[in-house]
Amino acid sequence: MSYLMGIAGHIESSTFGTAVAESRYWWPIIEGTHLLSLTVSFGFILLTDLRLIGVFLRQVPLSDVLRQLRPYVLGGFAVTFLSGGLLFWSEAATVMASPLWTAKILLILLGGLNALYFELVIGRRPEVAHDHAPLPRSVRFAGMASLTIWTTTIVFGRLLAYLPR
Amino acid sequence: MSIDATLVAIQGTGLARAITKSNHMVIAGLQVAHVFGLLLLLAALILITLRLLGWVLLREQLSQVIRTPVRMFWCGLALVLLSGAMMFLSGPKHYFYNRAFEVKMLLLVLAVAAQVPILRRLADDQAILPPVKLAAALSLVLWFGIAVAGRAIGFV
Repeated sequence: MSYLMGIAGHIESSTFGTAVAESRYWWPIIEGTHLLSLTVSFGFILLTDLRLIGVFLRQVPLSDVLRQLRPYVLGGFAVTFLSGGLLFWSEAATVMASPLWTAKILLILLGGLNALYFELVIGRRPEVAHDHAPLPRSVRFAGMASLTIWTTTIVFGRLLAYLPR
Repeated sequence: MSIDATLVAIQGTGLARAITKSNHMVIAGLQVAHVFGLLLLLAALILITLRLLGWVLLREQLSQVIRTPVRMFWCGLALVLLSGAMMFLSGPKHYFYNRAFEVKMLLLVLAVAAQVPILRRLADDQAILPPVKLAAALSLVLWFGIAVAGRAIGFV
């Protein structure tokens, strides 16, 4: 861990990291971008989850909804990751000291694995790919898992600013 | 009663005192609720606007597409207003004299005044004319402005 913290210290004190942390404008702009991009990444994955659970657009074939929402989810996540990466760059050692940050990163990995498992395994089962009603329970579970994981990620992310470091 | 006296009176109410004196995690909890409300509200409006502009879920009936998002919008609005009001109570003077907060409240009044009739029109399920689509897109911009102004409160 101390080795990792050493690296984090170097990242944070790099020219770019310091520039972002000390800039009057860049820090709020990047933080604002991170928040706004969440409305699309988190927002559209939430809508996707609600479809998997059977709340949103239940009458529309699952594969149809997934195909149409996927580009927004992925596009949103690209911006969220990029802005989040820049924020991390400027305060790597500070946030890494918080267990909340570690928990948040683990949740992001878990959320990514859950989505991959859905896309590569559950979503390719014939009854899911061809929209045979009723959909297997695993679809609902994947949706609920995703909803829980990403919601907790947001909670931890916001609390990072409040918990003692 | 002058504005300052009003703000001080607000600060002295039981609820305001309770929030101010509470553990800082209560304020953190309000911040979490505020972000969630904002995400629900904006995600719903983005989906509705994209549908109106014909970018997503075009073959599905409008009333069907917007049913869940409209509920998300109202839940989100209730969450942001409630948590926001409680955060305001924790420091009425601090917020009232903040330029970003002033802009945010102005935009909020405009956005709510624009959004409610737009949603009502969409619920009618008649053909949606270009002016309504334009109004929906402009009001979405207002909501984004509210989010940006909100972030700015801590920086001005």
